[in-house]
Amino acid sequence: MAIVLKQSHRWRVFATHAAMLTFILITVMPFLMILSISLRPGNFAGGHLIPEHLSFEHWKLALGISYIDADGSLVKPPFPVLLWIWNSLKVSFISAFVSLVLSITSAYAFARMRFKGRDTLLNGLLLLQMFPSVLALVAIYALFDRIGDFIPWLGLNSHWSLALAYTGGVAQHIWLIKGYYDSVPKELEEAAAVDGATPFQAFIHVLLPMAVPILVVVFVLAFLGGMIEYPVASVLMHDEQHLTLAIGSRLFLFNQRYLWGDFAATAILAGMPLTLLFLVTQRWLVSGLTSGAVKG
Amino acid sequence: MAGVTLKNVFKSYDGTNLVIKDVSLEIANGEFCVFVGPSGCGKSTLLRMVAGLEDISSGDLFIGDKQVNKLAPSERNVAMVFQNYALYPHMDVTENIGFGMRLAGYDKETIKSRVDRIADILQIQPLMQRKPRALSGGQRQRVAIGRALVRDPGVFLFDEPLSNLDASLRTQMRVEIAKLHRQYGKASTIYVTHDQVEAMTLADKIVLLHTGADVLRYGSVAQVGSPLELYARPRNLFVAGFIGSPKMNFIKASVLRIENDGVVVETPHKRVLKAAVSADKRLKTGDEVTLGIRSEHLELADSAKENTLPCRVQWVERLGDMTYAYLQPEQEEQVIVRLSSKSTVSIEDNVSLYIQPQECHLFDAEGMALPRLTV
Repeated sequence: MAIVLKQSHRWRVFATHAAMLTFILITVMPFLMILSISLRPGNFAGGHLIPEHLSFEHWKLALGISYIDADGSLVKPPFPVLLWIWNSLKVSFISAFVSLVLSITSAYAFARMRFKGRDTLLNGLLLLQMFPSVLALVAIYALFDRIGDFIPWLGLNSHWSLALAYTGGVAQHIWLIKGYYDSVPKELEEAAAVDGATPFQAFIHVLLPMAVPILVVVFVLAFLGGMIEYPVASVLMHDEQHLTLAIGSRLFLFNQRYLWGDFAATAILAGMPLTLLFLVTQRWLVSGLTSGAVKG
Repeated sequence: MAGVTLKNVFKSYDGTNLVIKDVSLEIANGEFCVFVGPSGCGKSTLLRMVAGLEDISSGDLFIGDKQVNKLAPSERNVAMVFQNYALYPHMDVTENIGFGMRLAGYDKETIKSRVDRIADILQIQPLMQRKPRALSGGQRQRVAIGRALVRDPGVFLFDEPLSNLDASLRTQMRVEIAKLHRQYGKASTIYVTHDQVEAMTLADKIVLLHTGADVLRYGSVAQVGSPLELYARPRNLFVAGFIGSPKMNFIKASVLRIENDGVVVETPHKRVLKAAVSADKRLKTGDEVTLGIRSEHLELADSAKENTLPCRVQWVERLGDMTYAYLQPEQEEQVIVRLSSKSTVSIEDNVSLYIQPQECHLFDAEGMALPRLTV
């Protein structure tokens, strides 16, 4: 692949690299600042990027461990951060799982079955998705408040209701998976049908295994969406014990006192499960996000 | 282990768009039947109807003695090889071949022994652990055939299985398919192709299908018969033109007189030719006809004797074992003649083309053939 290059190529490579490095620096800077703040004693937003004194007080509090400060007094963790993270993981997992199950099956219907109003429904799904869910906050609140009167575990302050509300964003996933199904030649399922498979068996044994990359993408996207969602959770969740991390961490920043250090430690802690998820699923994510570009 | 019978089968999409019209066929047990025709003639659709991948608009389809119109593909005891192979990309060769048996609930040992036997037959043992993407076109085709063979079906269906292969591989696989059918051919086979060479070499029975407006006019089936029957006694102009390579030469003419041993016709340029066909009480003097003659039945004559056309040589193709000369009679359509490789004919030569009366075909104004007296 040694293509012949122009003389000016070297300079252009240099300029490109310089531009890229600047861009990366801008991107990584906020993360480094947060890291620095979380390791600095005291709750200050400003200061040097490289802390003069290292202190793990914020991390201890985030992990729920008490510590003795310089005055000799015992500082207790102000909030149950680990519990919030657990809540977030739980809600995100439930909503991602339900979204996945709903979207793989409905995408199959949209991609492979012929029925009246198919195109209208598909477009309708996309259109409804255009409205930000924030606009429906009042409705969502009222709905779950009312449902709670009849089914207590699906009312306000319940993780199940929050997960259900998040699952409403399933339309974009249906479109994504349908696009992938469309790229799979129909002959494969026909071959399976001749081989003796029912449509359901062809779906399970032939279509789904081929769609694994896109399923991982959808799961991760839905999971991520659940982890970082703020508006809906802020309306549905009130008890401190039930908060998700996104709304819980807001409590570190009340008007009289901004606990920047604790907030920073919490933020990084919250990013860890997601980072882990990305690392584990990376292999599928790359092929899933680029699939359809090249058909093998 | 089952014959296939179609009775007055029609297929239309949305109730209006008729693609298959009135097909009635019998494919005997163990017979190798080839559906052939130009693109768009519905041959693949017809095959998919037998497989159960397309429903039948009207008519009856029997496999064995059982009417299968309403049965799902899995209930018809058929196996199919697809044009693009349709191997399951996430399974290796062993799993691909064994998939149908796994669904049918066979135990692992049975599946393994059957798959191994198929691998032996097709000589694909070294490939068994590979995924389809690591196989070449020819190897994929073998696996696809193996997947069909392993199920020991009543009917084999092939949908243009060789069209994605290069020319030499195609010839090789063609011979192998013929061999497989001969050795393991208890099952009936339906094979779809647009390539008349494949049809001629493989078929016990050829079903040639019409395309376009002819479907509505005459029905889908143009002619059914053995390869040589279609070659020697084409029923109409379409069949005559489709079967044989190069194409049969056609010369427009009108009937001059009718004799006992043939029909004498006259070209627009007053050249008189004789064809050994029966007028069949259909022809009368003055009728427009088309005279058909294959390139191998034409000769160059030294002088303008009877049954000759004066021509000018336009182009010569020397293939080594034979030579094709493209001749231009007086303002008629071009005629291709097959000559020996030793022929010294060259471009711009003026030659006399001798047409053997007993090898001539004659078609009436409707394009229907008149019965030949010599075959």
